[in-house]
Amino acid sequence: MEEEFDVIIVGSGAGGAPVAHTLVNAGKTVLILEKGPLFLPQYQDDKGLSDFKRDELFATGSEKRITLSGVSNQGSSYYSSHVEPDLNDEPHIYQSADGTDKATLEGYTAQVVGGGTQLYGAVSLRFTETDFRLGSFNRDRTDILNDPNDDIRREAPDWPIGYNDLEPYYTKTEKLIGINGTRANQKKFFSADNYQTPYSPNPISRYVEVGMDALSLPRYRTPLAVITQDHAPSGRKVETDLSEPAKTGLVNRYGDPMGYKSNTWVALLSPIKDKDNFEIRCNCVVTHIENQASRISRVFYRDPCGDQKTVRGKIVVIACSAIESVRLLMLAARENADFAARINPNDLLGRYFLTHCFGGAETEMPDRFDKSVSLDSDWATDAFATEEFIRSKGLWAGGAVYNNTSDQALPISLARTHGSQDIDTIWEAFVADTAKTGSELLAFLDRDFGTRLSVSFMANQVPLRTNRIELHPTVVDKWNRPSAYIIKDWHPHDIYLMDTLAEQCKNILAFGGDNGIGNYPVEGFGAVYMASNARARIANHILGGARFGFSPDDSVLDVNCRAWGFDNLYLTDGSFMPTSGSANPTHTIQANAFRVADKILEVI
Amino acid sequence: MKPISVKKESQYVFNHCAKYLARDNSDIRHNFGQFTDNDPAARICESWRFPIIDSYSDGIDFETSYAFNTVTFIYPDFDRSVENVAVIGSFANLYEPMSLTRVENSCYFALSLLIPKGQVHTYQFLVDGVLKLDPINPQTVTLDNGKTWSRFFTEFCTVPLSFERWEMVLLDRLTDHILPFHTESGENFLDRYYENLDRAAKNAQFAHAYRLDQSVGVVNFIDKLLARSERHFLDDYHTCLDLTNSILRGRSVAEIAAMPKAMFVDIYAEMASGSVNGWDYTRYSNPRFFLQLLRRHTFTGAFAHPKYGGNSAASAWAFLEERYKSKVTGETLFDWGRVIEKPLGFAPNYHG
Ligand SMILES: Cc1cc2nc3c(=O)[nH]c(=O)nc-3n(C[C@H](O)[C@H](O)[C@H](O)COP(=O)(O)OP(=O)(O)OC[C@H]3O[C@@H](n4cnc5c(N)ncnc54)[C@H](O)[C@@H]3O)c2cc1C
Repeated sequence: MEEEFDVIIVGSGAGGAPVAHTLVNAGKTVLILEKGPLFLPQYQDDKGLSDFKRDELFATGSEKRITLSGVSNQGSSYYSSHVEPDLNDEPHIYQSADGTDKATLEGYTAQVVGGGTQLYGAVSLRFTETDFRLGSFNRDRTDILNDPNDDIRREAPDWPIGYNDLEPYYTKTEKLIGINGTRANQKKFFSADNYQTPYSPNPISRYVEVGMDALSLPRYRTPLAVITQDHAPSGRKVETDLSEPAKTGLVNRYGDPMGYKSNTWVALLSPIKDKDNFEIRCNCVVTHIENQASRISRVFYRDPCGDQKTVRGKIVVIACSAIESVRLLMLAARENADFAARINPNDLLGRYFLTHCFGGAETEMPDRFDKSVSLDSDWATDAFATEEFIRSKGLWAGGAVYNNTSDQALPISLARTHGSQDIDTIWEAFVADTAKTGSELLAFLDRDFGTRLSVSFMANQVPLRTNRIELHPTVVDKWNRPSAYIIKDWHPHDIYLMDTLAEQCKNILAFGGDNGIGNYPVEGFGAVYMASNARARIANHILGGARFGFSPDDSVLDVNCRAWGFDNLYLTDGSFMPTSGSANPTHTIQANAFRVADKILEVI
Repeated sequence: MKPISVKKESQYVFNHCAKYLARDNSDIRHNFGQFTDNDPAARICESWRFPIIDSYSDGIDFETSYAFNTVTFIYPDFDRSVENVAVIGSFANLYEPMSLTRVENSCYFALSLLIPKGQVHTYQFLVDGVLKLDPINPQTVTLDNGKTWSRFFTEFCTVPLSFERWEMVLLDRLTDHILPFHTESGENFLDRYYENLDRAAKNAQFAHAYRLDQSVGVVNFIDKLLARSERHFLDDYHTCLDLTNSILRGRSVAEIAAMPKAMFVDIYAEMASGSVNGWDYTRYSNPRFFLQLLRRHTFTGAFAHPKYGGNSAASAWAFLEERYKSKVTGETLFDWGRVIEKPLGFAPNYHG
């Protein structure tokens, strides 16, 4: 007899863990199948060690080279984190601007229990009320700039739920995950304030305070999924003789050996880990799902040795992060025409793939500070997400703006990201800048170490049917399954929006650097579309491709994130999003997953 | 004496094996020049991670535990054809075999041992009575008797593994030219720092502090990197150091260590321009590529965690700590020790 569970969840990250947490506590039998390893924080290890380390070489490891044939960047170097997949074994391929295919590390979060929430910067903003109804907001407008084909009014969708439907789940997430921040000055309705008290800001963020105040931008402490106080729901403690112990500078792209960062393992899965009705099988990759008419009947996976196993679930929840979830469904559809007809009757699967418009401004400030004593961000503002601002600039949607404190906080990260921000091109500028040697290298450190400050924006990207995930025709992964193929580009309005918001970020630094006068020189500002690999860039925000909607004609999933053509198949990672929101997505993915879990409880 | 074996959960073995070893596809995807194509290691990912070298703790005294690594040997048996696996190695007297156990009926045999930091060992597996090299770990050495053994080294190792003595001297001059420590303030700092360390050497806080004959140990870092995770660059170094050596010797009669700094300034600039007077381009076509590689390795080696063999006694971190101070309070603006484990740093609760 094959094992059967009430619910099988594929993936233990932001989308998977809230479902497990809810259903296990409701007494259902739940199995999580997770491709990555289970790396415990120190406090859960009987010898007090963690597989995560405060070690800069864990974020970007030793050099490897793309050896895949059929890609034009064969031979290029890459440096992956210890919990990212190996690019040669599990490639993502994208179509680059020169028409060739390239392999990229973009489009993966992290493959470990907790998924992307192990490595994330933990910026945990809510979306705004407008983000949920960009269709109605834009439908009758005549003032949208840089949209020559009127794509926005045609394509912008409303979500089938509104802010108010998600609000209780935002509140729940803030409580159960463990998030610090402040509520005042956020332009969103809160039914409760569950934030922990934030740490003191890093002193370098004073410039951002000054800049935001000079420009009358209401500011609040960036909500971060890092506990600053004991956290009862997950049983985590912060006691130590070090003040503000979570501040290390090793935040973004690092797992936290102490478990202060609220990844989904420590926050949601640890509290249920010892229950009899819960099991998690790690190092087990799901390779295939099979259906009998409208029910997913079996889930196929490989165990840690690569041996094939199968299990059954009354309900199957897929949460592999959007690209991989879409790929899993496409692979199943390729094997079976009935599956294909059910999951993709309108050729919408994989389409409307999304990330964020992102970018910002960065410069060297007049003074030096210890940036290694920091979390990822200190101040945020909603001023550029208001309908008033959006209209005033002829934009279709807005974005969040916040400062980064931990980037380039440590010596190796300063050098490897010098002149290049993304994971495909790190080290390139520093190694090529051969003049930086001896006293010139010292001058570089004197100028840049502890002095650089950046302000970023994270904004809605125009959803386009042509931005899509497919299966690559030739490249396969280490299980001989076709790789994901990422085909996307930026819309002209995206570029306009990015320029507009980069300008606002620049202003914050220009006013912040000289006490509110506004003339402080800002060296760098811009956005992702300018990068040579702009089409690959995803900022780890992997969204859409199986959007939810009002009817099978406009979407892959129904309002409860159930696939229209199936009775028992749900998607709860970032793939459900029809628009990408004016903020980092994880908080919303988690809140929605909690919501979907409640819907599943109604039918199981 | 046999080393102490350490109990590790099966989960630990799966966590550190599945991603790298389990697969269907047998393409040669992991050969960047360090293997022959028929080497099985060319088909698996990051084979250099084996045996697994990890932190050790007895769960009680983290500072005394810090002198050891946990070394986990893995023998994969994907077709389940093996009965018994043991390891023999230079870490046990008389090469007494120590058994690996099959982990939960899986394809993996494993054994974890406590091995002091700073050591190099040779070993082989006894697989159903037959001696075999480790089928995963690409590190091997051929001993004086002509026999080849598998090799591993633990953290903070300073035994030269990749370079000859003369290569290290030359590399020291080249890396010195890249780093800021050859400036007046850098040299001043290092002299003072190491002198203090010498005095403090006996107290446990500096158990792993020593001065290498290179400024901050970068040459040692590169030596270890090329022995393990970036072995595919070993030939680049051998060739380019040889070429550089003969060029410099053609330019001066002095020993490399005694050559004036200006000679390194010149050859560095020539490499940067891609056109080096006297370079044999048939042997290595792109000296600028080598220089760029050297820049990444040098900077990384100087500022990476000292367990990798550079940044000895955290001297490069300490240099930044001293150099950058608040104008107002005089406090450092790089308080690295706050979050780094003892005895290197003074984090109260992080164990490394
Ligand atoms: C460096 C970094 C910084 C970030 N910073 C932020 C931030 O500050 N704020 C923010 O909101 N977001 C941030 N993110 C993004 C955030 O991590 C993601 O939005 C979030 O984790 C996505 O949730 P998900 O459920 O879609 O996927 P994930 O959380 O990635 O979970 C997917 C899980 O599925 C597993 N999986 C995949 N395929 C399979 C398979 N076939 N079988 C079994 N398991 C599988 C994966 O191993 C993974 O554990 C960051 C990400 C990174 C990498």
